[in-house]
Amino acid sequence: MLSVGYMLLTVGVLMVLAGCWCMIRTLHMLKITIGIEVAMKGVTLFLVLAGRVSGQLALSQTFILTIIVIEVVVAVVGTGMAVGLFRKYGSMSVRNLSRLKG
Amino acid sequence: MLSVCAHGFILAPIAVVLIYNLLGRDFARRHFVWFAGAGTVWQLGSAFAAFALLWRTGGGSYRFSIFWDMRAPGAAYFELSTLKVFLLLMIGLVSLVSVLVARQTIDANRSSYANLLMILMLGMNGMLLVTDLFSLYVFMEVTGICCFVMIAMFRSRADLEGAFKYLVMSEMASIFLLTGFAFLFMRTGSLRYEDLQGLTATGGLLEDRLVGVAMVLLLSGFSIKTGAVPFHSWLPDAHQSADTSVSVLLSGIVIKIAGVYGLMTVCRLFEGFSSMRTVLAVLGAVSILAGALLAARQGHFKRVVAYSSVSQMGYILLALSTGTTLGLIGALAHILSHAVFKTTLFANAAALHEQAGTLELDEMGGLEERMPKTALSSVIAFLSLAGIPPTLGFWSKLLILLALWQSGKQGLAAFALLASIFTSAYMLRLQKKAFFGHIRDSLTDVREATGTVLAAELLLTALTVLIGCAYPFILSALGAQGLL
Repeated sequence: MLSVGYMLLTVGVLMVLAGCWCMIRTLHMLKITIGIEVAMKGVTLFLVLAGRVSGQLALSQTFILTIIVIEVVVAVVGTGMAVGLFRKYGSMSVRNLSRLKG
Repeated sequence: MLSVCAHGFILAPIAVVLIYNLLGRDFARRHFVWFAGAGTVWQLGSAFAAFALLWRTGGGSYRFSIFWDMRAPGAAYFELSTLKVFLLLMIGLVSLVSVLVARQTIDANRSSYANLLMILMLGMNGMLLVTDLFSLYVFMEVTGICCFVMIAMFRSRADLEGAFKYLVMSEMASIFLLTGFAFLFMRTGSLRYEDLQGLTATGGLLEDRLVGVAMVLLLSGFSIKTGAVPFHSWLPDAHQSADTSVSVLLSGIVIKIAGVYGLMTVCRLFEGFSSMRTVLAVLGAVSILAGALLAARQGHFKRVVAYSSVSQMGYILLALSTGTTLGLIGALAHILSHAVFKTTLFANAAALHEQAGTLELDEMGGLEERMPKTALSSVIAFLSLAGIPPTLGFWSKLLILLALWQSGKQGLAAFALLASIFTSAYMLRLQKKAFFGHIRDSLTDVREATGTVLAAELLLTALTVLIGCAYPFILSALGAQGLL
């Protein structure tokens, strides 16, 4: 019981860190979107852990399913913006995003 | 009667979207104002009715559900209270102004605008009405996604850039919030407000410490949504790049419902933590100062106004940091006055963009001569923003200062008062560059704003002055209810 809990916690923390590292490190817009996704999936592991610890696994399952749906919508919108910017600039680099400053 | 109003907050936007999409494409495109307007007017009217009904019963609350049985054990339900109805009223007002502005500024994507506005209203109404944290998150995402699409849907370079930055920051907020929810869930096994109330960190146990961590995560998540200062980077970009009718929505209501209302909820759930109030006070003070200083060096009309939003959100956070009823009333009053004067300024931006063709401050000047009504409404909005009586802004700032003073934070009250000078400074610079002085040669054939944009400006100016003059009566009514 406890070992599974610790495993969930560790993997969740690692996934969140990996997602954030991906967002910080890369300049590619699609990779930033993927980083968001990875971090969010790490967060769902925290919810699994929470459901396990509090004995409300069914409730946490419904939360996680809802989060996955929301994540897909966000990923679609983010990818759409990235493609729109790709059409304007011909590259996916965030270095192009410098029109708004100050 | 109350049940019709209450169900309407959720069902009316859905009904408008359904009916609107059954119509022919060209017809829908031509008449988008009527459908979006009908939705917002319904919201305004039903919020007024619900406010009157709830006020008469002495500020009680009304619980309802839509398609499920809320008496089942553990079932979710919606709840209506005077505070929530007041914020619903703000949603109706700002959305109505946005529709009035959109009639003249939006040409492409009219049907998308009408649909997205309705879903945005649904998301914000839902955020207010729900009674558990997870549903709050779901409706917050609905609000957020509508905003991303509304900013990006014109597909210019700046639009897409602002929307992408907003999306990334907003998802960071979601990650913070969900992690915080997971920690709370670990402790209580439920995310309903009533089960979470009265949590305290006694220290010692791991699960108790988790509640403290959860509080920090929730505060930072909602601060990103509010645009408080260390987390404000997305806000001016999103506000500047969006179409003006969308900026009205973003600045007028979205940051308040998605951010400030979330913070209000967190404040209520974590009443036992005094450290939370300190954090809010620091965030508020830093936002006021940094927002005002950054606003003073911007060259774009909408960017100045956006940074001013950051600064004014700081006042609301300061009011919340007192944790008293007076502080809450001050925050709500400032939400009202901020909604009114910020939408006025964005309506002015729409008028300037339409008539003068530019929003760069260096290319404007002396427009008062050509656009006297726009200039007048802008000056009155400035007076309200700077807190000059008898406008709305004076009363709300007064309430905030009183709340700070009463809760023993005299230093913060003095700081808030002095920071108003910075507010006047950047707004005076804006007024001077845009409206005062001699008119530029390139702008001599500019004409006054027309149609619904002008109507929106005049309506909001009238509201600023009239409600400002009626404030003593409102305060005495509040006093009679024992709230002051």
